[in-house]
Amino acid sequence: MTKTLSRRDFLKLGAAAGTALAAGSLLPAPVAEAARQAGFLDSKGDGYIPSMCEMCVWRCGLIAKVKDGRVVKLDGNPEHPHSRGNLCPRGQSGLMNTYDPDRVLTPLIRVGKRGEGKFRKASWDEALDLVASKMLEIKEKYGPEAMVFSTTHCLTQPQFENLLYAYGSPNYGTQRSLCFNAMITAFQLTYGVEEPSRRYDNVEFILMVGRNLMEAISTSETGELAHALDRGAKLVYLDPRYTKTAAKASEWIPIRPGTDAAFLLAMINVIVTNQLADCEFVKQYVVGCDNIQDEMQRYTPQWAEQITGVPAETIERIAREYAGAKHCAMVHPGWRTSNFVNSFQTERAIATLNALSGTVLRPGGCLSAELLSETAGLGAPPQPPYPRISALRLDGVPWKYPLVPLKLGVFQELRDNILTGEPYQAHGWFISRQNPILALPDRNKTLQAFGKMDFIVTIDILMNDTAWFSDVILPEASYLERYDPLLPVDGKAFIRQPVIEPQGEAKSTLWIYKQLGERLGIGEYFQYEDEEDYLRQQLKPLGVSLEEVKAKGYAKLPEEEKSDEITFNTPSGKIEVYSETLKNAGFSPWPTWEEPPMPAEGQFYLLTGKVAQHTQFGTQNNQLLHKYSDEPRLWMNAKTAAQKGLKDGDWVKVTSKVGSVHIRLLATEAIRPDCVYMTPGYGHLSKGLTTAFGLGASDSVLHETYTDPISGSQALSQTFVTVEKE
Amino acid sequence: MTEIKHHAYLFDATRCIDCRACMVACSVENNIEMDKTRIWVAGLGVMGEFPNLKRGTMVYHCMHCEHPDCMSACPVGAYSKRPDGPVVYNPEKCIGCRYCMNACPFGVPHFDYDKGIVDGAFIDKCTFCPQRIDNGQEPACVHTCPTDALEYGEREELLKKAHERIAAHPDRYIQHVYGEFENGGTSYLIISHVPFEQLGLPTLPETPINQVSETTVGLTLPVALGWGAALTAVTAGVSLLRQKKSADEKKAEEAK
Repeated sequence: MTKTLSRRDFLKLGAAAGTALAAGSLLPAPVAEAARQAGFLDSKGDGYIPSMCEMCVWRCGLIAKVKDGRVVKLDGNPEHPHSRGNLCPRGQSGLMNTYDPDRVLTPLIRVGKRGEGKFRKASWDEALDLVASKMLEIKEKYGPEAMVFSTTHCLTQPQFENLLYAYGSPNYGTQRSLCFNAMITAFQLTYGVEEPSRRYDNVEFILMVGRNLMEAISTSETGELAHALDRGAKLVYLDPRYTKTAAKASEWIPIRPGTDAAFLLAMINVIVTNQLADCEFVKQYVVGCDNIQDEMQRYTPQWAEQITGVPAETIERIAREYAGAKHCAMVHPGWRTSNFVNSFQTERAIATLNALSGTVLRPGGCLSAELLSETAGLGAPPQPPYPRISALRLDGVPWKYPLVPLKLGVFQELRDNILTGEPYQAHGWFISRQNPILALPDRNKTLQAFGKMDFIVTIDILMNDTAWFSDVILPEASYLERYDPLLPVDGKAFIRQPVIEPQGEAKSTLWIYKQLGERLGIGEYFQYEDEEDYLRQQLKPLGVSLEEVKAKGYAKLPEEEKSDEITFNTPSGKIEVYSETLKNAGFSPWPTWEEPPMPAEGQFYLLTGKVAQHTQFGTQNNQLLHKYSDEPRLWMNAKTAAQKGLKDGDWVKVTSKVGSVHIRLLATEAIRPDCVYMTPGYGHLSKGLTTAFGLGASDSVLHETYTDPISGSQALSQTFVTVEKE
Repeated sequence: MTEIKHHAYLFDATRCIDCRACMVACSVENNIEMDKTRIWVAGLGVMGEFPNLKRGTMVYHCMHCEHPDCMSACPVGAYSKRPDGPVVYNPEKCIGCRYCMNACPFGVPHFDYDKGIVDGAFIDKCTFCPQRIDNGQEPACVHTCPTDALEYGEREELLKKAHERIAAHPDRYIQHVYGEFENGGTSYLIISHVPFEQLGLPTLPETPINQVSETTVGLTLPVALGWGAALTAVTAGVSLLRQKKSADEKKAEEAK
């Protein structure tokens, strides 16, 4: 049952939920004291503190308004380039994440069966000792490789990696193969950077391939796109669904799912055949310019029309408009592009189009493939080398997936090999701020993989589905309650600092990883006294005090030396439209067409996407976001629904090869007749999420596991479903 | 920020992406109950047939009218109009009659059945964030908007900006600034790419509705007094006549 918050007291809820806080609030809080000394809180403890958002990975700067030791409002920090004074709905709702009545505020140890939800409270010492002893036991019995470690992109990833590699396991699961492996590997191979940055100042023509920027909001970039459109820039948007981005586009093309690469290859064909590109200039910096015309010859607009369903003349016109805008044109690299097993080729075609227009080469271009230094001049604690790890990775990198970067991995394959026990059996799983039960395709399989484990520990702020099935849960302090390492953005290192005291016994992962490291005998990888000491070591080369950074919100970084020479971090030093690396690994060296499978008669493509109010699987329990979210339903084209005798609001059963769910139907014109759509992140199993439990259905139950052999991407739109009335 | 003489909002429907950051920001800033809101999304949403579609949505809250109908309908003076724009509701004076709800052409004031008796505040509506604007900050909804669909400032300047934008892109906008004259003008100005009725806005005359009612109501006393006087005169006359008649009759009878 949902705990309904009544009256005007929802901000007091954290106090009701955490009795420890209620007692603690009577004492002078060190955070408030420090903030008072720094001058941003007045004598009553009220004021404003700069910090950093964590409601998604964009990490906007924020200014927290604190009153009586409680955070009461978050505003965007105008000095941060990612927020520039604004916050999206998730950023605005961040304090409800912290004051969620379902917060886990003490370490918990399972007492019932897995999934029964029975836990007892434990002290940090007991819980940490238990986790460390189980991990050491697994290491002793089966070797360190029998322990799997997984986390989602976060600021303490270096410390997480220290824990993993110093312990000696090669098995590193990240969310990336479920997200942007296709984009990153394609751009890495073509430009030598993971993700080129976008600039909208001069953009005149933008082609977006399923990058739903108006709903999958990156605050500053969404704003920049809106302003570019306002100025009169043209946006052509490919998506089988009429999203809110489609509604803002100059032209929406409801392309057949999985065929974007054909559309883009035909654009390349038009450009190189008619010599519309900046070829003379571009070819100095691009490998492949000489033969590209021959290679792309077969991808005519007429050919692409047969595949994509988009008229040949439309493709030709768009190619000409794109080329006409020269370096003021951009094909957006996209984000979660892991839609079909050919998505890597889609990304390679995007990378190629951006090379041809010169947008990455010309001053004032719209994409930048500059390689930035990772430390940006910040210091770090001493880092001893890792022990040699000889065991194969369970996720097949690189022995099955030679081109997938080690730090990306192939998470779904890791899960599958936990199940098969090949090449060896894993026995323990250390999960930090991640929810593989909802995130991985085919939830049944993931639950079975959990069943194979002797020991599972999860670090989170909430009882998410993964925590619900774990043996030990370690409560993390929310992003408003803790420090994280400084983050460099555009020449400044920004701080995330506690704006309120941690509730209950919640702790930062900087602290948790260090405590575990010491218990595992790998303490030398965590050479900092506490969180503040870590930040001081980061600031040391800059000669700036932590107090100054805490007050200002950031430290200025030394300017990086820039050379005028245009080089790329690829084997040739040039943009590799033609890639020897791909050829040597046995793949096509050119961007190429690979036909994806199609649904059979009576089946639909199952699409998933984003809504502006939620981030992945972690925010559905936030009551403020829940308040302003639409009910999660299965979208179906209104005419298709009518033909099937289905009405808006009907309960339907959706079935794939691996599972079925029950969900209400949304009959809408805003989707292709051959597709259905579900918003991910619903259908939680954990009864510890009192707001989210019972809402909607999980797309992960339906998703079948298909992996792109080049990038390791999970093909998330390659599941086909049937829909029947209940 | 220079001092604002007439606070106002400008909402541009072509920029709004319906992300609802404004709604969450308002809820937090003003500590609104979880089951209530002071901002709504309105409009027809997706219109047309696949694949020829368009979308029209709007966010709105109290329009802060120049001639607020809520204020003229309120029998106890619980509403007032600040000279610099905001329409202010005073819960201390409110008796919970809900006339304002009937009077508002935009359906803004909402009645709180749970709390009226206990706390005295019956009605909930946008306050224009006086705690922010009186300290030189933008209202919470405006401040957070990622696409600047919501802007805040001096009404005259926002009107100018709205007209400039329409003139610069006549193909993009409906040639009208909603709220410039509607109902005598509002402090929430709207420009749009779809007809305003598709955003759920009522078609209103330029003369404020309450000017008609206020004129009528204003006439009540003189009319009532005049009518009363006339009736009194008539009654008095009749009575005099009757008295005279009865006196005459008496005389006649006496004469018999």
